[in-house]
Amino acid sequence: MLTTALDYILVLAAVIVMLAGFARRPARVRQVVEESRRPADFGYFLSYILGHGRIVGGRPLAGIAHLAVFWGVGLPLVVIAFAQFPLVLPAGIAGLLSLVMDVLGLVVLAAGVYFLIRRLTSAPDLGAPRRVVVPLLLLLVIVLSGFVVEGARLRLTAAGYAWQSPVGWCCSSVLPASPLLMQAALRFHFFAVLLFVVLLPFTFMRHLLAASLNVLYRDRGHRGALTPAAGVVTENALLAGDRLFDAGQLLELDACVACGRCAENCPAALAGKVLNPRRVVQNLARCLEAAPVPAGGNIDASRLADAVSAEEMWACTGCMACVEHCPVLVRPLVKVIGLRRHEVQMHGRMPAEAVPMIRNLEIYGDVDGRGCAHRGDWAHGLDVPHLSERDVDAEMLLWVGCQGAFHPRYREVLRELVKILRAGGVRFGILGTEERCCGDAARRLGDENLFLSLARENMDVFNKYGVRRIVAVCPHGYNTLKNEYRELGADFEVWHAVECIADLIRNRRVTLRYPLEKSLAIHDPCYLGRVNGIYEPLRTVVRAVPGVRLTELPRNRERALCCGGGAGRMWLHEKPGQSINQLRAREIRECGVEAVGAACPFCLTMLEDGIGSLELESPPRVLDIVEIVAASMAD
Amino acid sequence: MKIVVCIKQVLHTYARTGMDLQDRYVAPEDRVRMIDPASESALGLALKIRELAGEGNICLLTLGPLTAGEELRRCLALGADQLYQVDVDGGAELDSRSKSVLLSRALGHLDADLIICGRESIDTANGQIGPRLAGHLGLPCVASVRDVRLVDGCRTAEVRAGAGRGRVAVVSCRLPVVLTVEAGSAAIEHIPSVDDWRRSRQVPVQRMFFDTAGIATGVLREEIIAPRPRPKIVPAPDCGLDAFARIDLLLTGSNVEKKGEMLVGDIERQVDGIIAFLDAHGFLEPLQSAAGREGVSGG
Repeated sequence: MLTTALDYILVLAAVIVMLAGFARRPARVRQVVEESRRPADFGYFLSYILGHGRIVGGRPLAGIAHLAVFWGVGLPLVVIAFAQFPLVLPAGIAGLLSLVMDVLGLVVLAAGVYFLIRRLTSAPDLGAPRRVVVPLLLLLVIVLSGFVVEGARLRLTAAGYAWQSPVGWCCSSVLPASPLLMQAALRFHFFAVLLFVVLLPFTFMRHLLAASLNVLYRDRGHRGALTPAAGVVTENALLAGDRLFDAGQLLELDACVACGRCAENCPAALAGKVLNPRRVVQNLARCLEAAPVPAGGNIDASRLADAVSAEEMWACTGCMACVEHCPVLVRPLVKVIGLRRHEVQMHGRMPAEAVPMIRNLEIYGDVDGRGCAHRGDWAHGLDVPHLSERDVDAEMLLWVGCQGAFHPRYREVLRELVKILRAGGVRFGILGTEERCCGDAARRLGDENLFLSLARENMDVFNKYGVRRIVAVCPHGYNTLKNEYRELGADFEVWHAVECIADLIRNRRVTLRYPLEKSLAIHDPCYLGRVNGIYEPLRTVVRAVPGVRLTELPRNRERALCCGGGAGRMWLHEKPGQSINQLRAREIRECGVEAVGAACPFCLTMLEDGIGSLELESPPRVLDIVEIVAASMAD
Repeated sequence: MKIVVCIKQVLHTYARTGMDLQDRYVAPEDRVRMIDPASESALGLALKIRELAGEGNICLLTLGPLTAGEELRRCLALGADQLYQVDVDGGAELDSRSKSVLLSRALGHLDADLIICGRESIDTANGQIGPRLAGHLGLPCVASVRDVRLVDGCRTAEVRAGAGRGRVAVVSCRLPVVLTVEAGSAAIEHIPSVDDWRRSRQVPVQRMFFDTAGIATGVLREEIIAPRPRPKIVPAPDCGLDAFARIDLLLTGSNVEKKGEMLVGDIERQVDGIIAFLDAHGFLEPLQSAAGREGVSGG
């Protein structure tokens, strides 16, 4: 209990300094609410903070230690706050409370020591922030001095029982009975707490507020949908990218705790590329800290953009592993795409090898430059109806995509899919020459204008034919149509082909008869799995094929390693480091399976190339799930 | 330094899937209005020369109506400074000679140090404009230019040009000079930024008009006839195949055009497919008669 007026003044001063340190946060939050129209999500916040599920997940030991520190600091704070009031508790409850506080102190001590060792022994190249060390030491000092105070008090007063305060009792046995010592330890403990409070906004511990605010005001949009570029649309539909990040993005930069889970799961970082998502976010945060952006004011985009090198931003595969594994809901991927947009929109710079693909999209509307006139050639001889035909009876649109229309291997997959859909009695049609690229590659390479023009063309065609249901075979097209066309007014249901096939099998509209005697592993495509949460339908479909022995790869589902072809990487060179597809191919080889099943044209190509480059005697075959089903299907 | 880049707008027909006889079998979606790739390379070379020289003014010169207006704006956004349009009488059919006469008249007003144009356009592939321009203007002409270095205070150009069979000719000539560039030889490795696009929209089109009455041509009528497609729609050979396979497909017809069905799946399924095929086409005799005949021969 605080005893003197000076104590109250000191506490007040500490709180004022802390609030001054956090001064720009409320403005940032206001900006987030006004600009991004994100209301506070208290329900999610409470379940997040009390359960710690996201923090524990992925790193159980560190997560549990964090949980221990959270409760070990939070509960005593509440008790101390209540202790300032003249409340009288029954002796039993008070004793129990004292025991809990004592044990929690011990737990915090253990967790603090664990964190300290972890930070001090982590590899410096991972960029582990050593600035955590000072607040951690301070926390340990607070806990230890608390025990000394309790020990000295017990030594002097001998009040209560030993079980109520076991650690304090242990301390009392080695401490002298000195009121001076007790007072000195008490003041020391008090000042350490005040120092901790004062330092909150200036050390790593600011994440207590910044991360909490980020979770409270989280972006509730679909994670697969990139938000439109922060800026205004001019009359010429050109986006002015003078604002690199919106307020929500800046709030995320503050919230990053540099735990490194993003880097641990980033395929580019694992393959030895320049990109390290943690470094990207930390460099941006440092840049922001050096010269804060005034609330509501425009950020000097070039200053922030200079914090990240071109090699870093173009190495991202857009796999969303960083977003999936971040415990405080930071999205490094969105930062990278923002930086790419800035590079492309403001400076016209893009890796030279991607420029021909962008020109193909501009001129012909597809990534290969084959032209929309050829877009329906894959279906030659199959009599697939076009939605433009008169009296077409189609319940859904089959979205072919550039790879399905032009990639020699994937055209065959499309033809197999047609057979499956027909066998299942699905009435579908295609757009043929009226289809354009969905714009995924252009958007993720930073060319927002091109994405918008392609998307608008497609939307006009969808509206013309009143499309209500779409089945897409490419996960990138699936994600773009499902989640990103909404901003353009899309109002249709989008299925992935695997979902559709799983549904047909479940309803016994398709019978799988011929066995496929192979051990097979599933490679989860990023844009189906992590981005859209479709893991089970792939396994359901494969399990329905007789004879298949399904094996899981070491990294699967949320932890699945990207093939390296996303976010436009399919068209870029793999300059420094290993090839990501070879990394994944080695994992598949070590798993010892005869075949690997994918459900994405990019994954199919990248994995085939990766496995081929290993030059194995009997390499595992790379099959699309559609091909597996078609081979097993009864006529 | 003033560099004039002659830009040809083309209506590129890249497919032949149309069914309309009136339109010579070319459907509207088979065509795109674009800047000729060789002209794009000419612009790429001009940008490179200006970058090396440190200063310079790049003018685009085009003939006829602005059919690929947005693509011309893109050329401006990529770094060109001015756009000149030589207007001609509506519907006038021009051959290479008349075009070169009109362009040379326009160039007479522009006072260019370097004139760069595509060597051979994607649509007509005549390859006459560059040499004819040089002839009309009385200037030297270097074809298939790959690289240019300006020396002697930007008064002389040292040009590296293709001379066939992989040989490279190094030509040194006084400015002004006419250079022609092959498609793809000077790729532009950047794309226009938002500000570039905005700037390009501010650039006015400077129209020039010349009377076509004086330029008589020996060519009375010229018409480009697209190849007649086969009666059945055949997809173009897959460009992923090697040259032999593609030529083979073109000569024999597409493999997808052939009748029959490829049996896929494992052995059991393929055998089922063969039996079903034989059965459907009457190659299999009914089981009973086959057994009876076997009994007779056994007896």
